[in-house]
Amino acid sequence: MDWHMYQALWCGVFGAWALVGYGRSLAGMTRAQRTVRATGRIERVDEPRHGSSPSDGIAVVVSFQDPATGQEFTVTNEGERGERISVAWTGREIGVHYPRGRPHAFRFANDLSEGGRGLGWPTFAVFLVYAGLVAVAAIDRGWPWALLGFCGPWALSGLYHLPGNIRDRNRRIDQLAAMAAVPGRVVAVLKSVTVDSNDGHTLTNLMPVVTFTTLDGREVTAYCESGIPDPAGSRGLDLTIHYAPDDPALFVLDVEAERRSWKRDMAINVVGVLVVVAAAVVGVVAL
Amino acid sequence: MTIATSAAPPPTHNRSVARGFLTGGVMGASLAAIVVGIVIENEPLIAGGAFLLAVYVLIRYLAGMPRRAREAAIPPYLALAMIESLEAVGGETSDIPVKFDLTVAPDDAPAYRVEFTQDINLADLTDYRPRGILVVQYPPDRPLKVRIVKRPTPDWEERAASAHLDSAPGPALASDPLEGCGATLVGFLGLLLGAALVVLLFRADLFDRDDTDTARPSVSSSSTSSSSTTTVSSASGTVALGPGQSFLDQGRLGSSVAVLAKGEDKHRALTVVVQERLLTVVLAPTGTQAASRLDLDSLPYDRVPALVKEATTTLGVGSPRTWQLTADRLTGRVALRVSVTGSEDTAYLEADEQGKVVRRVSVGG
Repeated sequence: MDWHMYQALWCGVFGAWALVGYGRSLAGMTRAQRTVRATGRIERVDEPRHGSSPSDGIAVVVSFQDPATGQEFTVTNEGERGERISVAWTGREIGVHYPRGRPHAFRFANDLSEGGRGLGWPTFAVFLVYAGLVAVAAIDRGWPWALLGFCGPWALSGLYHLPGNIRDRNRRIDQLAAMAAVPGRVVAVLKSVTVDSNDGHTLTNLMPVVTFTTLDGREVTAYCESGIPDPAGSRGLDLTIHYAPDDPALFVLDVEAERRSWKRDMAINVVGVLVVVAAAVVGVVAL
Repeated sequence: MTIATSAAPPPTHNRSVARGFLTGGVMGASLAAIVVGIVIENEPLIAGGAFLLAVYVLIRYLAGMPRRAREAAIPPYLALAMIESLEAVGGETSDIPVKFDLTVAPDDAPAYRVEFTQDINLADLTDYRPRGILVVQYPPDRPLKVRIVKRPTPDWEERAASAHLDSAPGPALASDPLEGCGATLVGFLGLLLGAALVVLLFRADLFDRDDTDTARPSVSSSSTSSSSTTTVSSASGTVALGPGQSFLDQGRLGSSVAVLAKGEDKHRALTVVVQERLLTVVLAPTGTQAASRLDLDSLPYDRVPALVKEATTTLGVGSPRTWQLTADRLTGRVALRVSVTGSEDTAYLEADEQGKVVRRVSVGG
């Protein structure tokens, strides 16, 4: 069979997938559109046990109300319940999502924002169709079409979003300057041991848990994923925690290191866009 | 949250056995079809194997949709349970599999014993002791599919803290009676049977091919008629004409080639060499994909007498004695070369696949 037939099949299958996805979105039938989004409130936070697993998140009791029936529910983050809760304090609001009419199938989300229209997979299918067409052009007409086809749209998108990304980084750097500093303490170090099935090597993941009290009296328990040099022996370590007063979930241990990290991130972003633009230009010139 | 508790009758497992066997069979047949298809170079068989597997997965997914929707629509039942015994059954990670024997006590149904395995973190293992009270959950229609609730809600925590349960009579029912070697054996048996079925169906192609591949180089056939001798092997074919005959006779060359190469052999030729009364076709080994193969049907046999005549008369060879035509595709395109040898010198011309002369190398040239 001519390989162009495979290409046509590829584009046909993923094109159909995209069409079905966009159709479902227009009809309001995607999972994201049928999801009920409620706001839950953390009623109780249990201090993690030293040495236990970090995968289930901080144990919390959450209450939420079904907007359709007004019924109150009290639940815990037992089992697979969406996003891991890694920062918790009594009174914190978190997102609770569930299919319409099935509040028992709830899932947690750290972000309270509204959901999208469920266009992620259809858009991915369109990308696959586009990638197939670029591959055909590159094979039939030469490599410059691959550079232009892949890097061109990426470069345009990067240039379009670059000013917004830089503003976002600057906002985060400003946010660091406005952080409040309070004393904190490592109350437990959680441990997860996995074995690589291929080579049998053991991989140990350590997650220190810190607690601190904000200036307005909120007692925060949080996983501290970075910033502690020796996590294994850090239990009982006293620290200074810098947190954003309007959202204690945003906290750091070393403000200067964080500031350098954001500046480096901004530079990498700019260089990345320039590289992609250069690759697209090379593609155009070589046509 | 509203909690209902009930114990439905244990499900039958015959369907699970049949499903495991069928899954093994389809997997075996699909994989065997793909492998056999590759061996015998049968593209539809390869595609069919992959398609069968994809369709089976899709059917299983669609068939399971009603059950999944039914289970998802109803909250799992919660109940108190008491640990009769527990045993760590191995594991090198921080979450180790622990085999539990529990008495489950639903609120509105008789207590029952169940045995199952669940991963427990090493740090939490001390929470689980014999006679300890737990909260468990299970799908409404599958009371044996019990899982321990590690983080119960406050009201169930209180119930568990103050509860006292009596042991239910044993023996404990296994949560998944097919787990272990039973299920593996049934699935493996299905896999073997599926693969064997495919191999059996295509045994002719498989074993004929093996026979041909191994035997061909040493086997040749030979036939002799009053006018010619034909010898055919897997590597070449030869036709030798009798006295008074020539491959320049009208239609003889084309018909002789047709006798030598039939079917797929027509597309296996590497070189065709023709002399006055001797024709040799060199064939590529079976199973190889040489790019320099000739299509014997496409050669201009009718033009050969004219090319030989042109070579013997126009290239300046004095007293031409023998001629030879060689056809091949070694340079990527079909090339015919007619060489003429005289008493003292040799010259040749080259022609393309239509028999049109493209180059002449005369004596002294």
